[in-house]
Amino acid sequence: MTKSRTLRHLRAIRTGVKHLLFSNRLTCPYPDARQMVSERYRGMIRLNRDKCTSCMLCARACPANAIKMYVMDGKKLPGLDYARCIFCGFCVDICPVKALEHTTLHDVAYLDYKENQFPPEKFAEGGKDPYYVPGGVVMVEIHDKKGLLYKRKAVEKEEKIVKEEIEHVSKEGTET
Amino acid sequence: MSALVAPWPISLILEPEVFIPLVYPGLVVLTLTLLGIIWLERKLTAKVQRRYGPLYVARKLGGALQPMADGIKFAFSEQIIPRGTDKLVFIFGPILLFTFSILPVIGIPLSPGYTAIASDISLLIVVALVVIAPIVLLMVAWGSNNKFSLIGGLRDGYLMISYEVPIILSILAMAALYNSLNLIEIAEAQAGTWGIFLNPLAALAFFAAMLIATGRFPFEIAEAETEIVAGWTTEYSSALYMTNMGTSYTRMYVMAHLFTLVFLGGWNPIPGFLPASGLLPGLMILVKSLAVMGLMVLLRSIYPRFRVDQGVRIGWHKLFTLSMAAIALSVLLVASGVWVIP
Repeated sequence: MTKSRTLRHLRAIRTGVKHLLFSNRLTCPYPDARQMVSERYRGMIRLNRDKCTSCMLCARACPANAIKMYVMDGKKLPGLDYARCIFCGFCVDICPVKALEHTTLHDVAYLDYKENQFPPEKFAEGGKDPYYVPGGVVMVEIHDKKGLLYKRKAVEKEEKIVKEEIEHVSKEGTET
Repeated sequence: MSALVAPWPISLILEPEVFIPLVYPGLVVLTLTLLGIIWLERKLTAKVQRRYGPLYVARKLGGALQPMADGIKFAFSEQIIPRGTDKLVFIFGPILLFTFSILPVIGIPLSPGYTAIASDISLLIVVALVVIAPIVLLMVAWGSNNKFSLIGGLRDGYLMISYEVPIILSILAMAALYNSLNLIEIAEAQAGTWGIFLNPLAALAFFAAMLIATGRFPFEIAEAETEIVAGWTTEYSSALYMTNMGTSYTRMYVMAHLFTLVFLGGWNPIPGFLPASGLLPGLMILVKSLAVMGLMVLLRSIYPRFRVDQGVRIGWHKLFTLSMAAIALSVLLVASGVWVIP
C-alpha cells in the first residue's frame, strides 16, 4: 500500500515535470493572436434575409429562447440575442431553407447590453470583427506536435472567405 | 574584507552584522527573490497547465514585472479595517508576523568566517526563530473577528503541532550526524558528501514538513481558497494583505536556506572563480535555495489540496515516523563507523 502510494506520488511529479518541459501550450494571447478555427466552427450566426420564409422554426428550436421574431416591412424575420445564445446551432440545423449559417467569428463580448441584441438587419450582417490590426491579425493554428503555429496570413484568409462567399452566391444564382 | 580598501559606507555594508540582515540573505535579496519566485510560480503553473501565465508587464521578459505591478497596486489600494476587529492586533499582527518570518536569516552564515551570529548553536537559533511565527498567525486569525479567519488560523494551529516535531527531529538527526549545532561546522562537514545523500530520510521528512510549514501545495490548508475564502488572511486588504502574502513566501525562502545549509552542502562545493571566504560563497547558497524554492512552487501545479485531518495524519503517522527512522539511521551511521566527520 505504502509502496504503491509512493509510486503514485513519483508518477504525479513525473507527469508535472513532463508537462513543464515537453508540453505545448494550448492557449494563445487572445487579442494579439487568435486561433484559427475550422470552417465548420459554430461561431456567430448570419441570417440571409432573402431566403428566410418566416417559418419561425428557429425561434421554436432555440433552447435558450435567444431568437425572437421581428416584423419588418410586413415580413417576420428572426433576431438574435447574444446574451442568451449558447451557440448550439439548432437554429442553423432546423432551418429548412438554409437561411441561417455559422460564421467563424466568436467575439461576442460587448460593453453594453443593447449591443448584444441583433435585430434582423444586424443579424443579416453577421458578426463584425471587433479587432483590427493594420498589419493583419496574427492567427494561431494548434498543431498536436509542434504546438502553436503563428501565422500572419489573416488578410489572405479573409480574402479566401470573400471568394467563398462569391462562389456561394454564384451557386445560388445558378440554383435559382 | 581587510584586503579591500573601500570607503566607509561600503565597508560598513559589507560587515556581516549589517550585510546578512539587510542585504543577503536579508531584506534586499529577499524582496527581489519574492518578486521572482511569485512570477516563477505563476509561470511554472501556467506551463504545466499549458497556458501562458503573466505576459503583458515587461513583455520581452515574459511578464517578469507582473508581481511588481501587483505589489504597487496592493500598496496603493484602500486599507480597510473591518468593524469589530481587534485593531491593534489587526494592524501590527502582520508586521510582527513578517518580522518573525524574516528574523531567522540572522543565523545563516555565508561562508566559514562570514556570519552575523558566531554561535555554537546557530542551528537551534534558526529553528527556534522559524517556529515562532505561527503563534503570531493564530493571534492574527483571532483578531480578525471572522469565522473564515478563525478556521484558517486553527487549521494552521493543527498543522503546526504536526510539522514542528518532524522538522526538529530531522534537524537533530543531522546534528547527530555532524556532531554539531553550528551551521558553519555543519556546512563545512559536507565538503565531501552532502547531507541529503548521507541521510535521505531526514531530507525527505524535512522537505515535506517544510511544505506544511510554509503552506505550499499539497498542504495549502490554512489558506484554502476554495473552502474558506483566504483562510486566516480573509479580512485583509491592501498593504497588510501584501505583508501576509509575503510572509508565507518569506518562510519558504528562510526554510529553503536552512535546507540548503543542512542537506545540500551549504556553500560547498565552491567553484574555482569564487574566493573560499567572505560573502561570495553565499552565491552558491542562493542558487541552491532558488532551486529548492522552484521545486516547492512547482508542486502547486501537481498536487491537489489535502484535508486538514489528512495533513495532520501525514505529519504524525508518516513524517514523525520518518524522522525517527532518520535519527536511527544517523546513529547507525555514526556508531558503525561508516560515516566519519571529516
